[in-house]
Amino acid sequence: MRADRIASAAAFTLPLLALLVLWEVVVRAFDVSPRVFPAIEPVVKAGIDSIADGSLIRHIGASLVRIALGTSIGILVAVPLGIAMGTNRAVSAFFTPLLRFFSVLAGIAWIPIATLWFGYGFGAITFVIFNAVFFVVAYNTLLGVTGIAMPLRHAALSLGATRRQLLTEVLLPGALPNIVTGIRTGLGFAWRGLIAAEMIATDVGLGYMLFVARDFYRTEVIVLGMIVIGALWLLIDRLLLAPLERATIERWGLVRAA
Amino acid sequence: MSAAVAISPWQRLWGAYVRGSARHPALASLVPFVPVIVLWAAVARSGIFPPVFFPGPVEVLRKFGTLMANGILPAYLEDSVVRLAAGTATGLALGIPLGLLIGMSDRAHRALWPALLFFQAIGDIAWLPILLIWFGFGLTTMIFVIVYTVLFPVVLNTVLGVRSVPLELHRAALSLGASKARVVWEVVLPGALPNIMTGLRNGLGFGWRALIAAEIIVGTSGIGFLMFDARRAGSVVEIMLGMIVLGVLWYIVDGWVLAPIERATGERWGLVTR
Amino acid sequence: MKSLTITHLQKTYFDPFAARQVTAIRDISLTVEAGDFVSVVGPSGCGKTTMLNLIAGFLPPTGGEIRVDGRAVSGPGPDRGVVFQSFALFPWRTVLDNVAFGPKMRGVPKARRHEIAQEYLALAGLAHAAERYPNELSGGMQQRVGVVRALANEPDVLLMDEPFASVDAQTRMTLQEELTRIWAQRRSTVLFITHDVNEAVFLSNRVVVLSHGSVLDDIAIDLPRPRSWDALIEDAAFKTLAARVLQQVRAA
Repeated sequence: MRADRIASAAAFTLPLLALLVLWEVVVRAFDVSPRVFPAIEPVVKAGIDSIADGSLIRHIGASLVRIALGTSIGILVAVPLGIAMGTNRAVSAFFTPLLRFFSVLAGIAWIPIATLWFGYGFGAITFVIFNAVFFVVAYNTLLGVTGIAMPLRHAALSLGATRRQLLTEVLLPGALPNIVTGIRTGLGFAWRGLIAAEMIATDVGLGYMLFVARDFYRTEVIVLGMIVIGALWLLIDRLLLAPLERATIERWGLVRAA
Repeated sequence: MSAAVAISPWQRLWGAYVRGSARHPALASLVPFVPVIVLWAAVARSGIFPPVFFPGPVEVLRKFGTLMANGILPAYLEDSVVRLAAGTATGLALGIPLGLLIGMSDRAHRALWPALLFFQAIGDIAWLPILLIWFGFGLTTMIFVIVYTVLFPVVLNTVLGVRSVPLELHRAALSLGASKARVVWEVVLPGALPNIMTGLRNGLGFGWRALIAAEIIVGTSGIGFLMFDARRAGSVVEIMLGMIVLGVLWYIVDGWVLAPIERATGERWGLVTR
Repeated sequence: MKSLTITHLQKTYFDPFAARQVTAIRDISLTVEAGDFVSVVGPSGCGKTTMLNLIAGFLPPTGGEIRVDGRAVSGPGPDRGVVFQSFALFPWRTVLDNVAFGPKMRGVPKARRHEIAQEYLALAGLAHAAERYPNELSGGMQQRVGVVRALANEPDVLLMDEPFASVDAQTRMTLQEELTRIWAQRRSTVLFITHDVNEAVFLSNRVVVLSHGSVLDDIAIDLPRPRSWDALIEDAAFKTLAARVLQQVRAA
């Protein structure tokens, strides 16, 4: 097993290392101007500098706090709401088109109105993130709950489940694969919304770091930021989303239409 | 089997609604919006929020009329749609062949897959600053972002689709005399089509968001620009109008054009899409 | 196990498409004595599934009474256990946890309810599958779990809604024999819905024929027990009874 894990880790990193080599070779061979694209060394140096003076940590921290807060609140509100709406057929039929419309709009489209209502800063950005996660997760939760076949609900009731037990023992687990899919999509929208909002609406965060570096043509900072953003999302995906999906969707052998 | 029991007028109405929405499914998906609009109007009129921050549907509708009449909305809409269409077409033109290659060649897969995942993780928006340095505040920047956004879902889903075509279909075609190139065109591509449609749908979903972000940050025209410009002027009406226009457009395109096509290719050919 | 009595059961509902009232159950009166095994057969649309849903409490009746052990009941509850055609096992719970579900709802502590579940799984020969998930099991095994899950909750009455219809013919015969064996051991009160006349005659003491929402005939099955397919498939008495039931169903 360990040999497998090492092998797959190597298979993943080797092509990326090759890419790094290619990067350096191309920049040198074509004598690319540092204003257009940096070589590896300035990027590494910018990385070390910004860690040393704490600015990188501050930016990463600000972005992560915003996304963590907005996402958690979004999920905590969306899931119970989605389940509650799904218990009654008339209610779910009413809310499904509405939630679908709003989940279609979720995220970036709310940036202008969010900055108007909340002004620039933490509030607006967190709202955009919350918004992106909330609507998509609520919609997917609703779909998940309504997708639970009636016999399953009937079975639980004939086995003596109370309404509350029906919720926690049948509706929530039954909707979980859809909820997890919704979290993945919502988080994707939220992450993008975060970066976009940070570019225009604040003075700290990864998006801001990228955007302000542009003003000074500091491409090495931009590339550093892009790599950090990419790495963070990969970490979120591998360490959070993939295990979540493995534990729910795959283990239960359920295939659900999102 | 049926007793001659009188039915109430409410039941008659309900019956008419059920039959009507069965024939026109659009009805069922539009009716829920009516109470929402009514609620919106009520909240706006009540003055809980200052009207500057929370205009009602009537004002938004009026602004819609104005902007349509003076040609601004159609022009902005056209700009946005053209950018999206150009970016999407390019994304498909690049993504499908790339997806075919990676799906069919193990070596290409091993070499390119990690880079693909990493670049997808960086995301479209993060490219804007460096694109602005390279291409400035113009059309190229915006198209690039859209292409980048659309590319990954298309490639990933194409790969999925290619790999889901059973080996036996390849073999059947080869033993019927098809060349390798013909196999790609006649077997692999149609077989992967439902998944490609899914990829296109996902890609567009992210794509129009990227467009709006680009228009907000870069723009000189377009719906995203309309919204952000209005924000600068402190006018919420245009922002709400822009959001509704976007929502309605995507709701229609996704729900009544893309999703049915996706379903039709999958179902008609009896293929299973993930 | 207790008795089940249905008196003048009625069910009408409004069909929005046809814009009129539809009568699914016209008037059914029926008693299943404690420990008795009664099957209900009839042509499609005769109302047998609706009747079961009414007794189980999934639908409210428009008229009439349902009494278990003399006590009026409404709404679903653990006193009336149900076995479903689609098995209705919870896919996110292991086989053991599925069978332990009823006791869990009653608040039985974990160790005890797992014990109970293990006992019942052993009854159906499924002890080895306790840690599997339903989607890993064949249809026949899933339905065994379904039966055992209902029994583990010790209901007063067991309602079975065409439970073997989704299973292949050979497995069906095995399951039918197992059901009679389990029933003989526990003397459960069973109401069994099916469209398969042979199955009804094989399993029951009485076969009720339903037609257009009311009872057409009530036929006693006095074949000796234990019953096996090998013995009965050529048995004259069995064939006569089956033919008689079939005749009634076709006349319905």
